[in-house]
Amino acid sequence: MSSKILIVYRKELLEVLRDKRTLFTTLLLPVILYPVLMIGFNAIMTRQTGVLEERGGTVAIQDSVQNEISMRIASELSQIENVTVIPAANNVQSLYLSKDIQSIVTIKDSVDVSGLRKYHTYIQYDAANESSNHIYGKVSDQIKATEHALIEEQLSNRGVSPELMNLVDVRKRDTADSQKKMGMLLGMFLPYIMIIMLLAGASIVAADLVAGEKERKTLETLLVSGVGRREVVIGKYLTIITLSMLNLIINLFSISFSMRYMLSRSGLDMAGAQMPIKAILILLAAMLPLATLYAAVLLSISTFSRNMKEARTYEQPLMMVSMILAMISFLPAIEMSNLMAIIPVINISLLFKAVMINDYQVSHLLITIISTLVLDVLAIWGTIKLFNTEGILFRSDDDSGSLKGIKKNKANFFNPYNGLVYYTIALLLLYYLGSYLQQQDLARGLVLTQLLIIAMPVLLIIRSLKLDGNKILRLKAPQLKELLIIPFIAIPAAIIVSLLSQVINTIYPFPENYLKMLGGLFKMDLPLWGSFLVIAVAPGICEELMFRGFLIRFFEKYGIRASIILSGLFFAAFHLDPFRFIPVLILGIILAYLTLRSGSIFNAMFSHAINNGFALIIMTLATKPFMKFFVSGEDSLHYWLAIPAVIILAWALYMFHKVTGGKQCVE
Amino acid sequence: MISVENLVKEFPKKDGTTFYAVDNISFEAKEGEIVCLLGVNGAGKTTTMRILSTVFRPSSGTAKIKGWDILTHPHKVRENLGFLSGDTGLYNRLRVFEFIQYFGRLYSMPESVIDQRMKEMAELLDMNDFMDKKIEFLSTGMKQKVSIVRSIIHDPPVMIFDEPTAGLDILTARNIISFIRSCKDRGKCVLFSTHIMREAERLADRVVMIHKGKLLAEGSLDELRAITNQTDLDDIFVHYVNQVNGENEVQAHEF
Repeated sequence: MSSKILIVYRKELLEVLRDKRTLFTTLLLPVILYPVLMIGFNAIMTRQTGVLEERGGTVAIQDSVQNEISMRIASELSQIENVTVIPAANNVQSLYLSKDIQSIVTIKDSVDVSGLRKYHTYIQYDAANESSNHIYGKVSDQIKATEHALIEEQLSNRGVSPELMNLVDVRKRDTADSQKKMGMLLGMFLPYIMIIMLLAGASIVAADLVAGEKERKTLETLLVSGVGRREVVIGKYLTIITLSMLNLIINLFSISFSMRYMLSRSGLDMAGAQMPIKAILILLAAMLPLATLYAAVLLSISTFSRNMKEARTYEQPLMMVSMILAMISFLPAIEMSNLMAIIPVINISLLFKAVMINDYQVSHLLITIISTLVLDVLAIWGTIKLFNTEGILFRSDDDSGSLKGIKKNKANFFNPYNGLVYYTIALLLLYYLGSYLQQQDLARGLVLTQLLIIAMPVLLIIRSLKLDGNKILRLKAPQLKELLIIPFIAIPAAIIVSLLSQVINTIYPFPENYLKMLGGLFKMDLPLWGSFLVIAVAPGICEELMFRGFLIRFFEKYGIRASIILSGLFFAAFHLDPFRFIPVLILGIILAYLTLRSGSIFNAMFSHAINNGFALIIMTLATKPFMKFFVSGEDSLHYWLAIPAVIILAWALYMFHKVTGGKQCVE
Repeated sequence: MISVENLVKEFPKKDGTTFYAVDNISFEAKEGEIVCLLGVNGAGKTTTMRILSTVFRPSSGTAKIKGWDILTHPHKVRENLGFLSGDTGLYNRLRVFEFIQYFGRLYSMPESVIDQRMKEMAELLDMNDFMDKKIEFLSTGMKQKVSIVRSIIHDPPVMIFDEPTAGLDILTARNIISFIRSCKDRGKCVLFSTHIMREAERLADRVVMIHKGKLLAEGSLDELRAITNQTDLDDIFVHYVNQVNGENEVQAHEF
């Protein structure tokens, strides 16, 4: 089996390396690009500075003092090379505006309380004009030098040593060697460039490998040959990794050499700086998992797409997200931590920065590599799944995703594309309108958010499309048996989810102001039943209508299991709260299961209300003596509660499954 | 060598209903026999052949290729099967011999055997002039020869041709037709699909007619002629299609 992977791999590599386009962008371009960019840029810079120097300029002097000192300042200004000094006439401002003179120096004086006469020079210049800027630098340097000379003379005249001027001096002792300095410079922008290069290199190849085969009608031939689909996927996957790593290595070396050349030319002290070979090797090791992750994701995009053009389109979001995440290396004061180390792209970017200044922890390197590999395995597994899905591998040219198709066919309204559009709009409304409402008044804002943003759009859409709301939202009375089991699901689930939050809190402590904000939710100025309405009942009804009633319908074509998980993910993301993502996801999945299994949304509403109410009750009763048994501290539950909770939840879910058996799950 | 039993392939349609591309089809093809799968466009020919060549999985029913079940031993099926269609693409950036070698290796053939087979085929099909050329520079006829060699490099006992002459010029199409005949002469079991009646008449030992996924009729040309009382294959086909439609009309009246 592995030998066939190798056969596929060798053939793909050969084919890719024969493609002039790929060769040019992945191999030749980086070799040429950086030297040309950096060295060329450097040369032009030096030349342009020379041009400015030669061009010089004219300075007009307005001397309103006209004594020995002011005249000396003026006369010394006229000593500057390539600068012409003229006395200011009446038309001086119009000359300045027409750029005939680059700067106007005005000299004034004042006498302070001790009787000392002081001189003030005003330098008028245009910071947005290169010539004027250049002149400003020269003029202000010259005035400082004149000032220095004047003070020295005055001191000697009074019999004081001019050395008094240097009573305290400042000398730098930089402990960063030139190696580290170069590392810091490289660490700022290299990660960004490298991540983008890696993705760009991989995407060219990936689009060609499956979508390209579809387009050229070679895929069927390959599938009927003696090779298994898994071997095809892995062979192609290794090809992408190889090409993108090759691309990366060439980029890295080309950029390092050019950088070094440029730095040494620009006068920075780089005498001792060596090529950070060791750092580069560590980085390549760290980039490898990212390369495999990109390869897997891009391959799945390529498999999903009908042709190469489509594949390139679907690659764009990945590119955008990667660029934004990679930019983290530009931000100051963001450092590597265990949390950062599990976020893909960000982890590599920060690790890169740390490695370049030789200040990194092996544990971060390991977490980065492992977390990326886990995602990678998931992605490649998904690709193999896709490769075994006939509907995807041989997608016909219908356009169920396009806007035209939706308008044409009302019955087809519930498709994933529409679902995403609807969800995005709701999310934006929540983010802007919802937070605005809640700032005005928390309790009223929460209720309005539930009614206006979450529930009402659902009802409006159903009404305007003349759909059967009862059927779509599963507004069907539940059986009594089901309702009786719900508390045994909702309460243990609430306990497990709370405990999970506590665990997450101990690993990655929630920020202080976040806890304060969350606590505010339970300390609203309302009677208990009021809080219960705001926190438990309103979300129980409205959020269920939106997520388990409406949104889940858009993803039904992926099957029951996938639509349950997808709706859970959307539900969790809707809370705009990374700290509670996993707990909310679990809740969402359970609620979606309850709805689809029983065919009645009321089960989920009931469960949701109990869950939210549970937290409220714990917070309210926490101080009561009998609660000591369950609660430690202000509001954290004892961990032993997990055991009965899991047992009861498992039993209740089993019972629910049983009493709902034989019913139609999805209508 | 090919036996198809109650094969069904469903595709979900966008409006939620199911489309039966292949609806309960059974037939057989023996050693040294050319069987033609005849039907208009959209009848289910390609879907049937894709199932036989393990690209698709059937919704129900099964098929055997040289005794190997397509569901339980797909790998063995592919080893015993050569597949060729009219619009197959090739890897343009490979040279001809590299392309053929690649598929030989994927069938786990030893290098020496691949080389020898390749030499024989090149001689037979007059390909020696362009074995070292990159495929992108070949003419359509040359490309078709490369495809032929690719499909039989592993000397399979069963050959499946999906609309093998579709989109080809007359001369290239003739080459394919004579290649199909030569397969029969060497004792292979051949299944080919077409919507061109003349092609079926010239080549087939037996004809399997399908329409809208369903089996219309099966038998040798002489048998079908005797049953329908028609001489022309065109007329025989239309006769059967009318029969099915007629039955449907009767059924519609009953409701």
